[in-house]
Amino acid sequence: MASRSFRRYVGKRLVNVALTIVGIMILNFLLVHLMPGDPTTQMIPRDPKFDASLRWQLVEKFHMNDSVTTQLAAYMVNTITGEWGTSYISRRPVFDIIMGDMKWTMLLVGISTVLTILLGIGIGAYSAYRRGGPFDVGATSITLFFYGMPLFWLAIVLQLLFTTHPLAMHWWPQLPSGGYYDTDRYGNQLRFTWPVVLSIGRYLILPSLTLAIGTVAGISLIMRGSLIDAMTEDYILTARAKGLSDYQVLRHHALPNGMPPMIALIAMNIAFVIGGAYQVEVVFNYPGIGYETMNAIWNLDFPILQFIVVIGGVAVVIANFVGDMLLLYVDPRIRI
Amino acid sequence: MESLSRPASCLGAPSGRASVKSQGPTQCDLRTRVLSVVIVVMIVGSGALALACVASDPPSGIGGPAGFQSMVATALALPLANASVANAGPDQNITVGSPATLNGSASTPSQGATIVNYTWRLSKTGATVATLYGEQVTFVPPKAGLYRANLTIIDSNNHTSWDVALLITRERPKTFLEQYWPVLIIGGLIAACAAYLSFKAVARISGGQPLISTADREKFKLSLRKLKEVNRKLLSNRMGLIGSILLTAFILMAFFGPMLAPYSVNVQDLKHEFEKPSKTHWLGTDQAGVDIFSQLLYGSRTSIIIGIFSAVIASLLGTAVGLYAGYVGGWKDEVVMRLNDIVLSIPWLVLMIVVAAFMGTINLLGVILIIGLTGWSMTARMVRAQVLSIREKQFVERARAIGASDMAILRRHVFPNTFPLVFANTILTVAMAILSEATLSYLRLRPQGTVTWGTMLSYASQSSAFQIGLWEWIMIPGLMIVGLVLAFTLLGYALDEILNPKLRKR
Repeated sequence: MASRSFRRYVGKRLVNVALTIVGIMILNFLLVHLMPGDPTTQMIPRDPKFDASLRWQLVEKFHMNDSVTTQLAAYMVNTITGEWGTSYISRRPVFDIIMGDMKWTMLLVGISTVLTILLGIGIGAYSAYRRGGPFDVGATSITLFFYGMPLFWLAIVLQLLFTTHPLAMHWWPQLPSGGYYDTDRYGNQLRFTWPVVLSIGRYLILPSLTLAIGTVAGISLIMRGSLIDAMTEDYILTARAKGLSDYQVLRHHALPNGMPPMIALIAMNIAFVIGGAYQVEVVFNYPGIGYETMNAIWNLDFPILQFIVVIGGVAVVIANFVGDMLLLYVDPRIRI
Repeated sequence: MESLSRPASCLGAPSGRASVKSQGPTQCDLRTRVLSVVIVVMIVGSGALALACVASDPPSGIGGPAGFQSMVATALALPLANASVANAGPDQNITVGSPATLNGSASTPSQGATIVNYTWRLSKTGATVATLYGEQVTFVPPKAGLYRANLTIIDSNNHTSWDVALLITRERPKTFLEQYWPVLIIGGLIAACAAYLSFKAVARISGGQPLISTADREKFKLSLRKLKEVNRKLLSNRMGLIGSILLTAFILMAFFGPMLAPYSVNVQDLKHEFEKPSKTHWLGTDQAGVDIFSQLLYGSRTSIIIGIFSAVIASLLGTAVGLYAGYVGGWKDEVVMRLNDIVLSIPWLVLMIVVAAFMGTINLLGVILIIGLTGWSMTARMVRAQVLSIREKQFVERARAIGASDMAILRRHVFPNTFPLVFANTILTVAMAILSEATLSYLRLRPQGTVTWGTMLSYASQSSAFQIGLWEWIMIPGLMIVGLVLAFTLLGYALDEILNPKLRKR
């Protein structure tokens, strides 16, 4: 019986995911469609030497004279089949560019999310455990301080801090200030050998740490709140009455009940982390989607810009779905 | 409801015939009519005055009125490629955004040859801005500054010649609307509130009720007491106290700062660019020689304006959507919330970046609209959840039982109960909006023609301020943003704790 409702729940969520992704695509289409300006003027230099018929060819080719619904249908088919157009600048297919960048963004977001979760849950749980104490007050104010910081600014400051020797401290660690691995030593062609992987890791320290520090308050504050909520329940009182130690109460009673809401919130937090990753990538010249987006903005490379929204939205939807599935695994109450 | 509870007598009228229903004009009626006419005239008059203010054009500024300007560059196509620089014409002053006509006149001394091609290359500080073709072309200067118009001609013998004219382009003087739109919006809101209140007063007086009933007095006393209570709790809450002090400091800075600024932020001084902090320039100067300390003072005002206005827009939209979806329920709710989920699943910053990038150049109002119109979905979801629980409460059912309309229930029962939630959330949204503005500016999607802390950071990092030793230029605006965001965040969390104790019990 449980498995049937379980299957039904997963199926419902999958339909939901598909609907939301289609909705994101339509929204993106409308967004681009409603923006002022004629896209052909971006493709053809404003120069009468170019034939006017060229413009009409483009209008024909991109179905710009068709009705909105036909355009939408063509757009949906092309989006799903990966025909995302060609970059104005590098003349490469947009799909290849975005997929190439995505692995680096996913690496950065993944590692920093793991860091954030570990840091956030640790800090939040200990703050709740020692509620009102000096650790709680200190940790809450420090994480809030970093939360109020523009991430790009934190990145700039950290970049400066770890590429110089502040106060002439020679032992101060030096970290690479930008890029994704040591291209001077290992060449531009990426080959996965051990030294290259180590170099990638070394180049990842600063960006992922920046991202983790900037977003940790979102997790730790909620963790603290949810644990404190759990600690006011009656079963905690019962556990204490049984004579369990504080640690045992926290470990076996409060944490398992405080965790499930966290999973949904961490999944929601992914949207925030992606926004942060864009800023960090720009500061550290990290060749992910954010860096590509900025180059596209500065070069007016609209084909790339069009799909940034879809990629961001789909990533969040998938993260939420994964979060829900994890929740299903962790919290037995939903499965019934 | 009104007709049921209307008392038969009104202020000052003889109350001897209290049981008789209304009859003929009494003295009281006359007085209220005069009063209502006076109030309406006052409102209409102030509205007309405001309209007149809006409609009137500003006095022509430095650039003079924007108009159709023209200038002439003459070029001679000689058999040899030499040309003389011609007189560029007396009327060289052109304002940004208004079209300038460039008249080329050319002749060729070769027998039977004609001019086949006119090419105008317009450049600004060496970079080509536009290339135009034709004897007479129209050019709209996108930015203020000095443009070089280089005319090259080719005749049918393939001889070429060229000539240069200079176009001095001035900043377009700001129109009244551009300069005073925040004042106008706030004034409009205040006027709307005043109009609403006075219409209500007129309705009450002509309805024969006292202007201020004892119930109103009690209500006022109650809300005052509640306000005092919230204030006391806020100040005894550690987060709330720090947040209030910080915010007060920043608001004072925003209010008085620009008056105290030692330099103007609109005047460039290229002789003093990239100066280190000194006695004349406390925090140094930027890439255009503008004093950074003055920019910091001006920036406080724009940053707070952007934060508050865009958060208010986002909250209003979100509340409206949430109230609608939560109250109507059914398939409409389902559709609205699905749409909301779609917007919610796109990272806010990414959506803003793309919208701003597609808009091209944006001004202060544009930034506010971009942030406000993309940031409402979280509020909508929260308000809807709250409405769903309020809708089932007994007082709503009771109101429905005595025949209150949906609008009245929403206005009198549902909205007031969601307001504390929305208010605390708006304060938190202000913090996010300020951060978003800074980020957009850093990514060079900055509002044109204004100084914010975000644009300061953006220019600083673009000129790599750390590398040239101007670390104050990056550190201080950044710390200011941190402080302002922290002030709003602390206040928001504290208010959330005080106003919505059930949601986040500690």
